[in-house]
Amino acid sequence: MLGEDDDVFDSVTWESPSAPTYDAGPSAPTGPGFRQSTAESEPGHGPHDPKWEGYLITSVKDPVKELADTKDAYVSYLVSAKTNLPIFSTPNPSARRRFQDFVFLRNHLSKDFPACVVPPLPDKHRLEYVTGDRFSPEFMERRRADLHRFLQRLSRHPTLQRSTLLRAFFESTEWHVTMHQHVAHPPGPEHTTGVIDSISDTLLNAFSRVRKPDERFLAMREGVDKFEEGIVLTERLWSRIRNRTNDLTGDYHDMAVAVQGLGFLESGITDPLNHFSNTLLEFSALLRHTTQTTTDPFLIHLHSLLQYSHANRAVLKLRDQKQMDFEELSDYLSGVTSERDRLAAVISGHAGSTGLGLSSYLKDRVDALRGADDDRSRVEKMRKLDAKIKELQDAVQTAHETSDAFSDETLREQTVFQYAKEAEMKEMLGNLADGQMEFYKAAMDEWDRIIPIIQRIRVDV
Amino acid sequence: MDPYETENPFEEDTDRVQSEASSAYRVNLSAPSSPPSQSSRIPSSPSLGSASRPAFPSSGSHRQPQAYKSDFCCTRDQWLHSGEEVEIITDALKTSVNSSSTYITYVIKSGTAEAQHRYSEFESLRTSLARLYPTLIIPPIPSKQTIGDYAVKQAKAKEDAAMIARRKRMLQTFLNRIARHPILSNEHVFHRFLDGEVSWTEVLHSPPLSLLPTNILKAPSHNPTDQNASPGYTALPNPSATHALRRPDQRFLDSEVFTNKFAAHLSGPMEKVTRRTMKRWSDSSHDHAELGAALNGFSLNESGQLSSAIEKTGQAVDATYMSTTLLLQELEQNWAEPLHEYTQFATIIKKLLVYRHQKHVQYEMTQENLEAKREQLEELEKSEHAARRLEEALGRGRTSADSPRTEDGTPSSGDNSRADTGYLPPHPGPNPVRRRAPGMGFLSALSYTLHGMMDVDPATARRNAISKAREQISLLEDALHLSAQDLKYSSSTIQADLDRFQRQKVADIREMAISMAKSHRDWCKKNLEAWEEAKREVEKIPDHPNRMLEEIVEDSGGVANGSRESTSTIDGH
Repeated sequence: MLGEDDDVFDSVTWESPSAPTYDAGPSAPTGPGFRQSTAESEPGHGPHDPKWEGYLITSVKDPVKELADTKDAYVSYLVSAKTNLPIFSTPNPSARRRFQDFVFLRNHLSKDFPACVVPPLPDKHRLEYVTGDRFSPEFMERRRADLHRFLQRLSRHPTLQRSTLLRAFFESTEWHVTMHQHVAHPPGPEHTTGVIDSISDTLLNAFSRVRKPDERFLAMREGVDKFEEGIVLTERLWSRIRNRTNDLTGDYHDMAVAVQGLGFLESGITDPLNHFSNTLLEFSALLRHTTQTTTDPFLIHLHSLLQYSHANRAVLKLRDQKQMDFEELSDYLSGVTSERDRLAAVISGHAGSTGLGLSSYLKDRVDALRGADDDRSRVEKMRKLDAKIKELQDAVQTAHETSDAFSDETLREQTVFQYAKEAEMKEMLGNLADGQMEFYKAAMDEWDRIIPIIQRIRVDV
Repeated sequence: MDPYETENPFEEDTDRVQSEASSAYRVNLSAPSSPPSQSSRIPSSPSLGSASRPAFPSSGSHRQPQAYKSDFCCTRDQWLHSGEEVEIITDALKTSVNSSSTYITYVIKSGTAEAQHRYSEFESLRTSLARLYPTLIIPPIPSKQTIGDYAVKQAKAKEDAAMIARRKRMLQTFLNRIARHPILSNEHVFHRFLDGEVSWTEVLHSPPLSLLPTNILKAPSHNPTDQNASPGYTALPNPSATHALRRPDQRFLDSEVFTNKFAAHLSGPMEKVTRRTMKRWSDSSHDHAELGAALNGFSLNESGQLSSAIEKTGQAVDATYMSTTLLLQELEQNWAEPLHEYTQFATIIKKLLVYRHQKHVQYEMTQENLEAKREQLEELEKSEHAARRLEEALGRGRTSADSPRTEDGTPSSGDNSRADTGYLPPHPGPNPVRRRAPGMGFLSALSYTLHGMMDVDPATARRNAISKAREQISLLEDALHLSAQDLKYSSSTIQADLDRFQRQKVADIREMAISMAKSHRDWCKKNLEAWEEAKREVEKIPDHPNRMLEEIVEDSGGVANGSRESTSTIDGH
């Protein structure tokens, strides 16, 4: 009976995507996950353009092994920042934090800001390019870089950079207290756990697809898909090249040894051949160096960007869910409404009963057989339905607002993510290009140097 | 035998090499009483020692003018020795002339002449030259099996094309090496090969190739086709290559050891690692091609500056693909192929040294045979002498009237050889031709004893044996003389050609190393340019809004740039 007739859906007003319905005024929901700022009032900014109120430059440095000789040993990192954001009490906050603290920060930020793309933390055990245990310098350096990137992403986010939790993360001297407080008293009003939740819980997952997809988000989703596809492919191919280069490193080393061996045999040209062997060796060293300092970081960054994009995709999915909540509720409402209309028609003299189709007619017959067909019970039922309709109308209204607000937030979030993505791609590709250029320059010099040495070999008389 | 210095003959000591070469030449000319000297195939050109030049890959850039020569045997000869740069060019062609199926023929252009030959004819030319000149290093031709391990495994048709191209290159190198060889370039057989006027089968069935003896060891080293060669050659033994020498020549022992080491090193570490590296480069270039395409596709999904930055990065990767393909080609042509050629050279030199070794063994065995024969003769004469004295004593013991019977006993007993010549052997003696095998001395002695026991007339048999021994001794003396000459000749010629080869090798290694360095340098240069361009494009991506306006960027967290640890020391530097 629910949503039998799709036409009914049209009776519910649905904001067309192009209509800018979002109003930053007090009527906007102010729960967590929604922007608390009023930045939109500034001219020159569209409603979906994010605005940064200041800068926050973060860094993670100096990993130190604490409680080294106990079984509770852990590594702490110095996190520091430079900022001009008014929320910070000092322009240069800094603190020592351990990995668990980062985990706490991330978990709670993502809980408090569901509409924001909260960057992911590195997987605890993704150590493809690192050997050694948790306390090996390679591991600590790798993790430091990952955490640095995590904080950098947070600080680049216009909303997250101003969150109180992040501030506490940098400033608090009693971080444990802060953590407990945060858990006990989450900021912002409680989630209105009303009809939406109870109903949407029952309806969720019943339909996995948004029925009225929004073009903007479809395109966005497609963009994210393609982006991730590109990243995945690039990562796969590049790591293949990395392995190839590794093999070549070994090959050139072997060739250097072989040429040196030839030098031992050819007593007349031992010296130039040794030089040549050195060049081959140097080339091999350059290959290894570039793998270590360029390719590996590039691959790590690439992978981390992919993770970040996954987080972004999750937010998009959440938005779809919000829309679905609204759509399901609307369906439910229209179902209830039509039931009431039918009852009303029955009461007013069975006038429209035939027009309401076979199913309603059968229902009437069943009701009649049960002896519940007296007008009084119908009126009673109608009153109940009216009350339910009113409740549902409120819920639909809230869901609609939530969905719309979430959509707007998502649009802005996408822009924020685009900024972050571009900046990271710039850094990533820039570093890659720098590393490649450094390698080719050094290698070119190396080969250039050997040519005159070989040319000096005396030939004939 | 000239006492050679006991030094590594491959050592690069040009001064010494020069003097040696000239001494070798002197030996060549003044070889005492070399019987067939008038038909010596080696022209008395002073260029034997000095005129050597690399054919690869400099294509004779440092070619010296050939020694003056006026009696050209044909126009090809004239062209080859015109004193100008000569370069033989080959080209591969698919054809089906005179055949039901198609085959590859190689077009050879030398000056104005053009000839077409199949691979098998090249092979035949090489074998013929090797038999005509047993003491020279005949350059190798590409081996019959594809040296396909070199090439990238590709589609069948493509591999074929690559294989043909490689063969073509190596055959061209082969021809040019001969053309620049001071002696081989004068060979008329080679000229006729280049001319292409007569079919190769005809060349094969006409002198000198048709005159080649079946066993090259029993022919004069300087001219195996000599028809007037002394019969002494037939008396030479046919030793195995592994037969040990009693008095080996230290100089050539060193050569052998060195050649073995060289061959092992080249075909082992050098070729293997080269092959592996090339395989890896080829894989890497494929990966780059794929990645370039992937990045290009990636850029289409993005917009604005990011898109063009990714695109340019993709182009840089594409450029790496292109340059790597080129690098690979150059590595193959200028490093892997010459390397392989030198592996073949090493095998050829090994064979050459085996030939000389066999010649040396021949000499020693002949000497031994001769000594054995002389001892035997002495033995025989002793017993003959004893028998005669006994007879005389007996005769004296009888009446002096019996004296006329001493017909063959009275003349001076020391000069008994003439007396025996008229006798026909009463029993078939061992065929002198079969006498060359080692240990034959003992066998014949045994048979002599047997005959002696069986013979009715031991005195006659003894006299026959004496005359036979003398015959053999004179033949062996002849053979020993020839063998000594041959050994001397081959030693000096081989040594001279080895010296020439060594210089050619140094020149080629030099070229190989230079071309390798240049290929890599160019590769770096191209890639560097492509990445610089990509970097410029990446720079244009706008910065993130979250930044300090007074650009005190303190992005200290950047990846730690550990300084490159170059392990540029393998022991011995």
